Amino acid sequence: MDAVMVLPVGASVVLWLAGARLGRWLPPPTGVRLLSAAALVTALATGFVLAVAAFVALAEIPPVAALGHWSAGAVHTGDPIPMPVSDTVGLLSGVTVTALLGAALLHTTRAGRDLVLAAMTCRRLGPGAAGLVVVDDDQPDAYALPGVGGRVVVSTAMLRALPAEERRVLLAHETAHLVHRHHLYVQVAELAAAANPLLRPSAQAVRAGAERWADEVAAAEVGDRRLAARALARAGLARTAASARRVPAALGAADTGVGDRARALLAAPPRRRRVLATAVTALVLATVGAAAQTAHDTEHRFELAQAAYLASR
Amino acid sequence: MASPAARPRGALEREVLGCLAAAGRPLTANDVLADLGGGLAYTTVMTTLSRLHAKGVLTRESSGRAYAYSLADALETVPASLTARGMRRLLDAGEDRASVLARFVADLSPADERLLADLLDDRARREDRG
Repeated sequence: MDAVMVLPVGASVVLWLAGARLGRWLPPPTGVRLLSAAALVTALATGFVLAVAAFVALAEIPPVAALGHWSAGAVHTGDPIPMPVSDTVGLLSGVTVTALLGAALLHTTRAGRDLVLAAMTCRRLGPGAAGLVVVDDDQPDAYALPGVGGRVVVSTAMLRALPAEERRVLLAHETAHLVHRHHLYVQVAELAAAANPLLRPSAQAVRAGAERWADEVAAAEVGDRRLAARALARAGLARTAASARRVPAALGAADTGVGDRARALLAAPPRRRRVLATAVTALVLATVGAAAQTAHDTEHRFELAQAAYLASR
Repeated sequence: MASPAARPRGALEREVLGCLAAAGRPLTANDVLADLGGGLAYTTVMTTLSRLHAKGVLTRESSGRAYAYSLADALETVPASLTARGMRRLLDAGEDRASVLARFVADLSPADERLLADLLDDRARREDRG
């Protein structure tokens, strides 16, 4: 165990504590890109250092060392943590990394299946007109369906609930999701969170940030932030009223995102926050550096241990 | 207030289609123009309607001196409706599965419902005064 190996875990804790706030403070396009990249890098780096810690602990067991032609004692040389403690840490690391890898694989399977399903639905829906598919339905609903080209799906009830200028906001919002491939950022962040639960707040921030990003694109397209906020308000109220008619209990499962998004649109446009963005970038680079250093140190350690093994024969 | 940006490609086609689907009856270019408003030129709307007609998305019939346009497929017969409804059931199935779709708005919390209702009320009051 080296001190540098703790850094990815530290980065995870920082993102766990600050992920939600970073998502609110950074301008949406920057926040979504940076946080999904940070989540991916941190998840990979954490998995890597845990796997290395587990492998080193395994390598210190004499029969394993004999099998690998290295000196069990030499592997531990220079490790600041005493042998029994580092063995325990190694065992815990091994168990953790196995469980997390399993969770990540399960998530990948599910998300992959859903993405394939969405792409197949896109194909079956046909080209639509300029990517828009109108569905005759009395439940106000609108969503972007990712796939080759993607489709914007809107129900007739949603179209009727909004005046033309607010329909324009809705269509611009959903099209922005497809144009900027928001589902990829969201999927990357969700995968990272599956592989490292400390990244859950960052994944939620990426999801919320993608909505804010699409809101800002729509507001810029119509040139009126209040109009964009009104479209959100009317669509949200229409949907909630219809849901309450259908299943009164469904209101319990409401999320708070729409109110926050409307408030953000009524406030001034987001500021650039260059210093904060630079700090997050530095954290990502430091995490990459720590993983690279760990790889280098471990390789070096095993070279020495193999030399010691050969010298002792 | 910033002036509206130029519409990206396809945006006006989607708006015209949304307008016709919301109306649920045939509309002339003038009807569509009146609904969309926002400084659009008559010829722009006319061109978009013709293009959608040429693509087979819209049908048209004579209505006085102009054409009245409507969606080519009655929406109920579009298999898309069924496919998309299946997709929505999937979407509603749970938080985990919803990750693939980006929905415009979810159901509101009671606090948000009040906030957003106030937002629309403010607007209505100001229009009454003005």
